[in-house]
Amino acid sequence: MTEKERDILLDLLTKQATEGLSVAESKQLAALEGSDDDSFDLAAAAVMLAEFEPVEELPSHLRAKIAADAPAFVDQNAEQFLPKDESTIPAPDRKTPMFAWLGWAVAAAAVVALTLNITMTRFGVTEVARRVDPTPTQTPMSPAEAFDEMMAEPGMTVAKWTPAAKEGDMAHVTGAVVWSDKQQKGYVKVQGLPKNDPSASTYQLWIFEENQGDKTPIDGGTFNISSDGQVVIPIDAKLTAKNPSMFAVTVEKPGGVVISKREKVAALAKVETSVPPNA
Amino acid sequence: MPESILKRIANGDSAAVADCLNAYGGLVYSIARKLLANEADAEDAVQEVFIDIWKNAGRFDPTLASETTFIAMIARRRVIDKIRFASRRISTDAIEDMVSEPGDKGHKLIETVAEAKEAAEALKMLRPDQRQVLQLYIVGGMSHQEIADTTGIPLGTVKTHARRGLLRVREVLGLGGTTDFGQKEAAL
Repeated sequence: MTEKERDILLDLLTKQATEGLSVAESKQLAALEGSDDDSFDLAAAAVMLAEFEPVEELPSHLRAKIAADAPAFVDQNAEQFLPKDESTIPAPDRKTPMFAWLGWAVAAAAVVALTLNITMTRFGVTEVARRVDPTPTQTPMSPAEAFDEMMAEPGMTVAKWTPAAKEGDMAHVTGAVVWSDKQQKGYVKVQGLPKNDPSASTYQLWIFEENQGDKTPIDGGTFNISSDGQVVIPIDAKLTAKNPSMFAVTVEKPGGVVISKREKVAALAKVETSVPPNA
Repeated sequence: MPESILKRIANGDSAAVADCLNAYGGLVYSIARKLLANEADAEDAVQEVFIDIWKNAGRFDPTLASETTFIAMIARRRVIDKIRFASRRISTDAIEDMVSEPGDKGHKLIETVAEAKEAAEALKMLRPDQRQVLQLYIVGGMSHQEIADTTGIPLGTVKTHARRGLLRVREVLGLGGTTDFGQKEAAL
């Protein structure tokens, strides 16, 4: 490594550990030898631990969602150490990394490749490692990216938001909702909802579908609007939703309600079979 | 000695998920709430942090750092990434609270996490202006420019303080890293 490269590496590792890197800087760092050096980030984390006391508990609804999502990832960890044929090797599923996971992802790919090599060589199969694509795959998508990806997939339930009222501060709501029965997940993209004071009210999503009927739609989670721009929110369905016919957003008391009185409906999104996938 | 939570997760033990959330859920959530302006951003970040943890548990090296520090590192990385794309938060804490004497707040973590105690000691070794800059980055969630604007320290000096401060903390914690950046960089 040249002196200049060493200085660049030092600057980028410092910046990564303090204010973070841009996408271009992440790529620049990933190209340098020593880019997987965690010592600056670990040092910054230690300073953080020295400087503040964690006082907030993980909210129960958030904990439940994280726990529900975890097996999909944790189970994969176990599978990485089992013999696999080519068809079970996970395909790259991500686009440009938002920060420097490159070293981690390459290391993970190398572990898979090594495991496959050892296992398959034992059974007389050769040249397995070359089948593993070392492209970085590990950065989770943002809700906006996940929304776009689902919208591009075939077979999704898609609906466009329309205002519930023609006049007033909610008369210009636009956006769309995408939902997958199979994956039991979806996202709301919405623009034009007024900012709310979370201490006074919250927005709540409802899913009208065939299991529960129209009288008792499924709670799709609460959310708040803190800016004028477009927001993308993961749907947090509390029950299994099947074949949704409509989505609705209501204004409720902080924390949301179990059954909405539907006194203030902000927006509706009826599922139309004619809605194109990329609406 | 019981197997670490992260090791169990790396081995695909789903039962370790609850243990991880019990042990570190509050820490991750607190970091997100500390640095992000609104709750929705913080909740998104927390979910993404735990996905990062599930995927990267196998990278945890107990000879380098404790689980707590490793998880705080993953959380900071994700939250900083989020800050770049969300509403940046300049901490609502007073500057004086962010840059107080390190280790004087009686934090429980300083008693229980070795690296936290060592980091507090390392901060005490820094020049006051270097320590101030590091605290504003890490506790205040500020950018280079915001620190320069807030403190009046020239931008280039802010960056130098950050670099030398982190090198010193890294050195005190015995985090050699993979590249030798030389002793002179850490010199005060």
